[in-house]
Amino acid sequence: MTKATMDSQKWDWEIKNKTSWWQVGLLEVVAYRSLLARLVRRDFLVSYQQTLLGPLWTLMQPIMTVLTYILVFSKLVGISTGSVPPALFYMAGTILWGLFNDVFGNASTTFTANAGLFSKVYFPRLVMPLASVSAQLIRMLIQLGLLGIVMLYYGLSGGFQFHLNAWVLGIPLVLLVVAGNGLALGLLFSVITAKYRDLMNVVMLIMRMLMFVTPVIYPLSIIPGNLRWIVVLNPLTPAFEMFRYALLGEGSFTPGQLLYSLGITLILLLGGVLLFNKQKEALMDIL
Amino acid sequence: MSEIAIQVDDVSKLYQLGTIGTGSFKRDLHRWWATSVQKKSDPFAQDLDSNAIGQSHVWALRNVSFEVKQGEVWGIVGGNGSGKSTLLKIISRIIRPTGGAVRGNGRLSSMLEVGTGFHHELSGRENIYLSGYILGMSRREIRQHFDEIVEFSGIGAFIDTPVKRYSSGMYVRLAFAVAAHLYSDILILDEVLAVGDTEFQKKCLAKIQDFARNEGRTILFVSHNLQAVGHLCQQAIWLKGGQVAALGSVHSILNQYIAQAQDNRLSQVWDSPGVAPGNHWIRIKSVEITPQLAEPGQPIDVRTPLTIQFQFWVLQDDMRLLTAFQLISYEGDCVFDVMSPFTDYKKGIIEGTCEIPGNFLNDGSFSISLVVYRNSWEELYERENCLSFDVEDYREPMMDFSGKWWGAVRPNFPFRIVQIQEEQPALTLKPPA
Repeated sequence: MTKATMDSQKWDWEIKNKTSWWQVGLLEVVAYRSLLARLVRRDFLVSYQQTLLGPLWTLMQPIMTVLTYILVFSKLVGISTGSVPPALFYMAGTILWGLFNDVFGNASTTFTANAGLFSKVYFPRLVMPLASVSAQLIRMLIQLGLLGIVMLYYGLSGGFQFHLNAWVLGIPLVLLVVAGNGLALGLLFSVITAKYRDLMNVVMLIMRMLMFVTPVIYPLSIIPGNLRWIVVLNPLTPAFEMFRYALLGEGSFTPGQLLYSLGITLILLLGGVLLFNKQKEALMDIL
Repeated sequence: MSEIAIQVDDVSKLYQLGTIGTGSFKRDLHRWWATSVQKKSDPFAQDLDSNAIGQSHVWALRNVSFEVKQGEVWGIVGGNGSGKSTLLKIISRIIRPTGGAVRGNGRLSSMLEVGTGFHHELSGRENIYLSGYILGMSRREIRQHFDEIVEFSGIGAFIDTPVKRYSSGMYVRLAFAVAAHLYSDILILDEVLAVGDTEFQKKCLAKIQDFARNEGRTILFVSHNLQAVGHLCQQAIWLKGGQVAALGSVHSILNQYIAQAQDNRLSQVWDSPGVAPGNHWIRIKSVEITPQLAEPGQPIDVRTPLTIQFQFWVLQDDMRLLTAFQLISYEGDCVFDVMSPFTDYKKGIIEGTCEIPGNFLNDGSFSISLVVYRNSWEELYERENCLSFDVEDYREPMMDFSGKWWGAVRPNFPFRIVQIQEEQPALTLKPPA
């Protein structure tokens, strides 16, 4: 229309054989925010279509898990949860671990689960994992509500003393670290498992082992000093400890550990997004 | 409007054959070590030029170049595995080319299947939004056209029913309706007309035609339905084995493609009444078309006179017969229907000859049907498409016009045009002032 566009050098877009590492196209993801919102909606609608309990499953899952943990770890094995009632202790750990586990699980299957769609239409691929993270975060908030109710019950029945403190304001940071690590590792593994499918089995194994070096079912304080470094090395540990400290009043962490955790999360996130972006088209040839 | 909408510049795509996985990890490591750590060139890229790649790789596209101007409608034809879909996927940004580049101006949307992004568990309403967003529509666009989409699809009251309970026809209609309301500058369409019933296919075709003619949008269209390609497109590209076999105006490309795909059938001869088609009154002995070519081996073009000749066995006495033959265009329209006078025949062989003069037919693909009538228009026997042939275009070198010459026929009627003196008022059409 103008002289500038008549010039053959000027194009709205160009498709070449190389994907740049740095052109992540986050602006484009923002442009597709309506799609992201719809995908979140789809996630909820589809999950509870033709089910008996519907959205209650969001709550049933942590409740059942917590009951199992109380039975096994509290009653049978006898792991101390300090002054916090086991139900509250396990619930806090379970919903936080659930967030990490689900975010990771969904993000790591981005290519394999959406192969059909990805081979038929272009849209910023990052929208898919971001939509599933958003859906998981909403679920997490619902579960947090449940935790609040259970806390209130224990508080009123006298089994639990409220220790609300300023660290409550740090909970968004906890969610960032937990969901961020889940997403980052998920993106990395989505690329790797799209290429080498059998690694998915290894991933599942690693996830299970990771849970045992994260203070989900035990407090960090019961780990003997000479083994503690293994658990502390895990960037999720300070997040779990801080989460419990903020809500339940018990947890051991230092600001240094929190910074370490945040730093690792951001590095992993950057690496995950960049690798995902770099490989997203190349993977279409082999899916 | 001669601005370029899409420029496909020397695009190639190499695919690896065989299984991916075993052995590829080692090779990936090797490649990574060489390119990223040792800063050498890719050790496997060098193979691309050697013959060794023939074993393990295949070129889905090779050095494809063309330019599509704004508002043009291009068809892409070619057999299976010719690279049509690969090309569309590269232009749609789904896969990357191995070499070359695609550049463009304007928003591009592609529709490579019907129902992209549809989820079976969700209602029609949810799916309109979901599919619309996935195809790149904005919230405002979907809201604005929501009612039109529902109306176009004819879903009506089922809009809040999960699409898994739709009939396959309803599903396809809704899916196409969403895509039909994509308001982007460039549309990429792949085989979308292969679905739905005939009536809906016509509706889709009309909608696409509307896009192209009235809204001036640029369209790239792949279909096995050559009739649709012929109707919709002005330009076409013929891909063969990943390379451009020909490109140019749609009719010349379709003619070349069809000529290659199915040879012209200029004659059919049967040896005896026992094997010949027909019934117990008449049997066809032969039917053939003879072009009077200036030099043998030349293709038939618009200047070539044609002779159509047929022979029948008449198996009964006292038959009062009329023979007609129809020239059917590629699009299925009858160009003309010529017939002999009614005549009485005895048992034996009859022969008919008809001449189509040169400089009469337009360029295109044609077929010939024969019909025999008895007594007063009682249809005795009909044989459809017994011959087929292509008429190539020919333009006088002085004629500087390469667009499609309109019309079912292109007769060379006497046409006089002279300059006259202004004082001569007799021929003026204007009323006196």
